[in-house]
This record gives sequence, C-alpha cells and structure tokens, in this order.
Amino acid sequence: MANPTLEMIHGLLYGKGLHIGQPGRLARIVGVMAGGKMDVVPFMGPQIHDHAMTVAKVPARRYYWDARLLVETHMAVDRWYGFDSDTIVADAYNFEVEALGAKMIYSDNAMPTVDVSDPLIKEHSDLERIGSLDPSKGRIPMAIEVGRFFMQKAPGPIAGGFFCSHWSLLCQAMGYPRAVRALKRDPGFARALFDWANDRVLFPFMQAYAAAGVKNTNGADAWACFPDLTPELVMEWVLPYARKLREQCKKELKMTASAGAAAADYCEEDPAKFDKEMLFKCLAVGVKTFPLKVAPSAMGRTQDWDMHWLREFAEKEGKNGKKIPVTASLNGRFMRDSTPEQIVAKLAEWIDILGRDGGLLVFIGNVPADTPSLNIFTAVKATHTLGKYPIVADLSKIKIEPPAFPPFDEWLKGQPEEDTIRRAREWKP
Amino acid sequence: MSDSYTEIAKAILDGDDIKATHLVEAALTQGLPPLDILNQGVVAGINKTGELWAANKYFLPDVILAADAFKAAMLPLEPRLKAGRGGQPTRRFVIGVVQGDMHDLGKNLVIAMLTSAGFEVIDLGIDVSRDKFIAAVKQYKPVILGLGAYMSTTMLEMKDVIAELKAQGLRDGLKVMVGGVPTSQEFASEVGADAWGKDAMLAVQKALELVGG
Repeated sequence: MANPTLEMIHGLLYGKGLHIGQPGRLARIVGVMAGGKMDVVPFMGPQIHDHAMTVAKVPARRYYWDARLLVETHMAVDRWYGFDSDTIVADAYNFEVEALGAKMIYSDNAMPTVDVSDPLIKEHSDLERIGSLDPSKGRIPMAIEVGRFFMQKAPGPIAGGFFCSHWSLLCQAMGYPRAVRALKRDPGFARALFDWANDRVLFPFMQAYAAAGVKNTNGADAWACFPDLTPELVMEWVLPYARKLREQCKKELKMTASAGAAAADYCEEDPAKFDKEMLFKCLAVGVKTFPLKVAPSAMGRTQDWDMHWLREFAEKEGKNGKKIPVTASLNGRFMRDSTPEQIVAKLAEWIDILGRDGGLLVFIGNVPADTPSLNIFTAVKATHTLGKYPIVADLSKIKIEPPAFPPFDEWLKGQPEEDTIRRAREWKP
Repeated sequence: MSDSYTEIAKAILDGDDIKATHLVEAALTQGLPPLDILNQGVVAGINKTGELWAANKYFLPDVILAADAFKAAMLPLEPRLKAGRGGQPTRRFVIGVVQGDMHDLGKNLVIAMLTSAGFEVIDLGIDVSRDKFIAAVKQYKPVILGLGAYMSTTMLEMKDVIAELKAQGLRDGLKVMVGGVPTSQEFASEVGADAWGKDAMLAVQKALELVGG
C-alpha cells in the first residue's frame, strides 16, 4: 500500500508541473482538487452501493449489515471498473432514524428503506419521547465499522465515515412534506427540529465515530437539493447547522465532519426550465458545503447542461484567470439508459470545455443498480483516454473502442476480497 | 369571477390550507355552485401553482403547501361534487408505489394534480404488491394505472406488474403510466408502459393525452 502522505505530495507536485513518476489514484485526485493538471482526467469512485451489491451478487440482508462485506465489495467493484478513488457509503440516509426507532422495510434485493407512512416524528412532543441517539443501537456500530475499515484499507483524506445531514435526517424522520410544513409555517418547531438533529443525534454519532478513531466524516443532504429546497432556504437552515456541527466537531472532537453535501445541488429535471441565474445561485451555495473550493455538479440532469455555464462559474470563483476545480458528474439515469457511444460523446464534450486546463474530476452521481457494466467501463476508459494530457485539439478524432473486460466473477479470482464475497453468497437467513 | 373564487384560488396558491377550507365552506354556505367553486376557485389555484412551477417562480416547498391547501379545499367540496355528478361516467385512475418502496411524495402530488384535472383517483398507497395492483385493476376498471418507484432496485417491479397485466388479459384498453425519480422515458418504453410522467404537472398532461384530453 502506498504511503498516502507521499501520494498526496506527489499529486500536488505533479499537478503543479513537476512530472516525476506515475501518479497513483490518490495522487490524481489530490492534484486535481488542488486545481492541477495530472497525467489524465481522474474518474472519482461514485456512490455505488446497490450497484456494487448487484454486480457482486451478494444478499442485501447481509450486505447492509456487515461492514467488512460492504467495504470489500465496494472496493473490489471499484477496482474492477478502474475508478481513481472509492466512495464507500451504505444506505446513508437511514442509519440515524433506524437507530432512533423509525419503522423500516427490509428486503432481500434492495437497501433498507424508511416506512414514511408511519413517521418517527409527527409532532413537537415526539422530540422528547425519542430523545438522543444511542450509538450502540441499530446499525450505527456497523456505520462506524465501515468508516474504520475504509480508513484502514484506503488511508488518506478521502476515506472516512458517513452520516445523514440535518435536513435529510428530518425528512427521513418525518417525511419531506411534514418537514417542509415546519420550515415554512412553524419556524419555532423547525428550529427545535434542527437543534435536536444536531445536538441530540448527529453530535453523539460523531462522538462515537471519534471514539473509534474515525476522524473524517461526510454528511449527505440530498433532500436539500434544488428544487426540493431553494438556495435561500439552504442558506437560512442547512448551512448554519452544517457549520455548527463542523465547528463543534473540530473543537471538541478534533475531527472533520463535513455536513450538507449535495445541498443546493441543481437538480432541475426539465431542460426547458434550466436557468443560468438559478444554477449560479445554487453553485454559490453548494461551494460552501465542500471542505475545498470546488464547482460541484452531482445528481442533476447534467447530460443536458451547457457546461460552459459551469466553466464560467468556476472561472468567476477562481483567481488570476484560473478556474476553481470542477466536478463533472454523469447523471445516473443517463449512465443506465445511454449507449456507450452517447457516453463517449458526452465526455468528449465535457473534457473539451472543462478539462483542457486541468482541475477536472469526472464521476457518476449515484449508480443505479441495473446500470450496464459496459457503460461504466466505457465512461472510465473514455475519461482516461480523451482526458490524457496534453489533450488533443480535436477529440472527435480519437476513437474509443468498446472496452474489453472480464466478467466480475472471473476477475474476482485471487483478489483479496474473493473469500468475503463468495462466502456472503452462500449466506442463508 | 366572484371574489370568493379569487380568494379560494389565492389561498391555494399561498398554501394556506386552513383558509382554503374555510373559504370553500363559506362559498358553499352562500349557495355558490360546487362545480364553479371547483373550477374557478380550487382548480384555478392549483393550475396557477403549476404555471408558477413551470415558470421557475415556485419550487417544491411551494407546490407541497399548495397541494396541501388543494386537498383541504376538496374535503368539504368532494361530497357535494359526488352528489351532483350522479351516474355520470368518470375517468378513473388507479395509482400506487410498487412493492418494497415506501416513498410517496411524488405520488401524492400526482394525485392532487389528477384530481384537479377531473380524474377519480384510487390511491393504493405505498409498498403495493403485484397481486394488489392486479386485483385493483379488476375491481375498479380504471382507464389508467399509475406505477411509482423511488429506487433503482424497486422500479424493476414495474416490469413484472405490466407483464402480469398482460398475462391475465388485462392490458387491452388499460393505459399504464410509470414515474418516479429513477425512471426515464427509456425505462418506460423498455418495460412496456404507455407513458412516463417526469413530474406531477407533466404526468397529468400525459394522462389527459392518453384519455383524449
């Protein structure tokens, strides 16, 4: 295993033009996140939990309860595809509410899900009845184990634990419409809800992470994307609490807890409604949820975006004519439903607009379970081929042949994760 | 348009459910015709909400509150409308979220919009099994069946529901619509659905097209 500190230094130096040696996966990501130009445009490991489960053919009732199986399956599938990093999360939005007593639905083939027909919080008085999170309950110990294994297996700044950020936690606990009603009609109740989420749920969770040595966590907040919340509502509610948790954790636990990821993510679905001004507002808020300054795209209908807008925003936020780094995220449904040729064409367009001067990271905004593996292999190959520096003037001249890849089971033979995955397949409830 | 209708429409647009109910009750007490209250007040309010949504002036929180107010306004109105409808045929729409999936936000918005467009909606709820969909089609004989899913794992169930409808000879004359976050037009075509509803507003447009406006 490479030394992560050396890899990071390698990435930073390489990104600044000191081309010594071949950058590793972590070096590529770090170099690009610092705005540099690496050997190729890196492909960041996406959120892939249910797709990885499907590819590895492991049972859902084991996979979502066994930290080692979850981490090893992710890492094997990520390596099979050739991603430049791993994003290891389970059904990240469920752990806290499940431990607090929310009614859940468990399935043989899918991730656990909250039964919103019988929500945990129906009224103000429920907050006292529910009380604080007990980190020994539900699958919270599993989440902490996932964070620990991930950090052991992929040391560096990317690995860590996951949690569900404040607003999404409230949506999971009471349903989105109820949470919206509180926000818009009863700000006093909304304040009590956010305080409860922060002080009595998330901070105890972070204390448990810190006690287990997991000093880096990321909190997802997809329910705070646009248009589920406006950027103004995100500014008013989501960001102050994300900041509060981050500062509390830094001061009291000496750890990094990044809350609010995906808040204000521009997820307008109708291209006819795309609005540059609103996109810029969302991006300006989204930037504030990242530990580093980056122009983010994540779950939106990016295949129909004009990426010149994202570039313009990144340049506006940058200094001395240099843009801030950009994450260009391939939409999950686009990845599932498109032909390999369409994926290659989209990446050629994006790399041409965003990647020529470095600071570009490609990934997928959550991979649907039934996405054809060929499409993912194609995306990685196209990114690394078209995005090889120096990038050629006319990308249409580069032909991306369909990638050849071994079936997962054949590739798995002799891999360190083989035993864990094969044993899990034999598991009986 | 009467001031009462304008006020009802505004209460819905503002997402004020309590005011919307009171105004509809007051209009009924005044003796205003229920169908006019529906069309010129309630439906006008929810339609304006849809217009503002399409114009990027309203966002999901505004739509949620408007749908709440719409539902609240329909409570006192529905029995009077039913009584007035008599034996007239209705356009019946059966809707549910497929098995293993508990997400009902989109479905509830679609129901509000379908009701405003004059459909009689039978809501089967969430986590609906294939057998339950089949039984509901047999029982209610809808013109459209709507299937919703939120997860890429559960949406695959839609294909099985449609196949089962075909196997049981229930597909002829029945239109099937699918919708939900992970779905797409490509997916809808692949599973053999007649239409895909991208969002609640467009779902209603598609439903109206399927039944001939």
